[in-house]
Amino acid sequence: MNDDCLKLTVYFGESDRVGGHLLSNRLLEVYERHRTKASLLLRAVEGFGLKHKLHTQRLLTLSEDLPLVSIAVDSRERIEGMLDEVVGLVGDGLVTLERARLLTGEIGGPLPAALPHEQTKLTVYLGRQERVGRRPAYLHVVDLLRRHRVAGASVLLGVDGVVHGSRERARFFARNAEVPLLVVAVGDVSAVAPALDELDGSLADPLLTLERVRVLKRDGRLFAPPPRVADADEHGLAIWQKLTVYAGEQSRHGGHPLYIELVRRLRRAEASGATALRGIWGYSGEHAPHGDTFWSIRRRVPVLALLVDAPEEVQRLWPIVDELTDETGLVTSELVPALQAAGGGARSGGLRLASRLHRP
Amino acid sequence: MSALAWLGVALLGGIASVARFELDRVVQLRIGGEFPFGTLVVNTVGSFALGVLTGLGATDDTAVLAGTATLGSFTTFSTWMLETERLGEDGESAYSAANIAVSIACGLCAAGAGWALGAAL
Repeated sequence: MNDDCLKLTVYFGESDRVGGHLLSNRLLEVYERHRTKASLLLRAVEGFGLKHKLHTQRLLTLSEDLPLVSIAVDSRERIEGMLDEVVGLVGDGLVTLERARLLTGEIGGPLPAALPHEQTKLTVYLGRQERVGRRPAYLHVVDLLRRHRVAGASVLLGVDGVVHGSRERARFFARNAEVPLLVVAVGDVSAVAPALDELDGSLADPLLTLERVRVLKRDGRLFAPPPRVADADEHGLAIWQKLTVYAGEQSRHGGHPLYIELVRRLRRAEASGATALRGIWGYSGEHAPHGDTFWSIRRRVPVLALLVDAPEEVQRLWPIVDELTDETGLVTSELVPALQAAGGGARSGGLRLASRLHRP
Repeated sequence: MSALAWLGVALLGGIASVARFELDRVVQLRIGGEFPFGTLVVNTVGSFALGVLTGLGATDDTAVLAGTATLGSFTTFSTWMLETERLGEDGESAYSAANIAVSIACGLCAAGAGWALGAAL
């Protein structure tokens, strides 16, 4: 386990280009060249940024430039080593740094002692057609997490990525066996720790991260509103906050899909941005795992909607999130110790990490 | 049909599809929400225009250029169908059905009104 790791996330547009090349491609080239432990490119289904322009796959004319999210995880040293290059490439977009623990190889062990907080976010990076026994590895991981009563898990399919340092991108006519996907799960450390022990025995080459998280709501039950955190650390470095809503595509508010309503309401409230990602498989709480079935038009896959903003903005926007998740959804809050945003000519934040003192 | 008419079809068709794209986007961003109003407006406007054109009794090449080329690429059946299916995926069966019914109703009325207008001119 490496305690001192960073997760570098870039939110940008599918048609963004640098020097005649797609930004997405250039970013993945950087991650590949630095032989990043894990990186993944995700295609969002809906979202907006600082310019408040809505992009959605639902309407053909608004789907030409969907939001993309690239994630890269490695040691702090490695990530900081590629940071200037990445920032140099990204024009308009959002860049965040988050602290993470990276687990590879032998992942079991005395986890609870190593995690002083109660809840954790576990991300497992897998190949799209990686198998455990004869089953797809992601199904195995989801079942295992559910058996250990981890609160919820979603499987997100990458379109490009680097796993254990090698680049695997999805192509139109191919099996795409090695293209990475991730399983993201949130739960109590007491449930995640034994799940990790079992995962250790079943995955050939495990690659996963643990991040600090706080569960705010689950299935309409409020545990705590988003904690009020200081807007800067003792050195004056800004602190940011991330809210994530994990819901099913079938989750509804007022008869409409929850994630669509959430993005719409956040946009109307002039939030600085929001992104919705659609998974392929997942579960929440006691509900059985769900995904699309062949004979159903209506989709039953998990959807994640997230926003990253200044703590005071998160407080301002919380009533919207709270109202829409009155019946379903798992809502979490995380601290983001560094963020840089650019859009519509404005640039804010910076990528020096704020100190750890503040609890999420 | 002359080579010039073919060229006209290509040119007008291209311009019309760009115009459709822009109108669709402006309407959708202005109205927002889940319902594909942009496509509805585009198809209704196109039906009206084709109605006017037919009412006017347009002749051969003019009919091909204005009708097939311009309005044919301006309106869109595939987007209408795709967005209806997407609404179904989202579980919005009422919107999905409304998208079919309202589009047909608006399209027929627009074409009829256009025809009447064209014939009266």
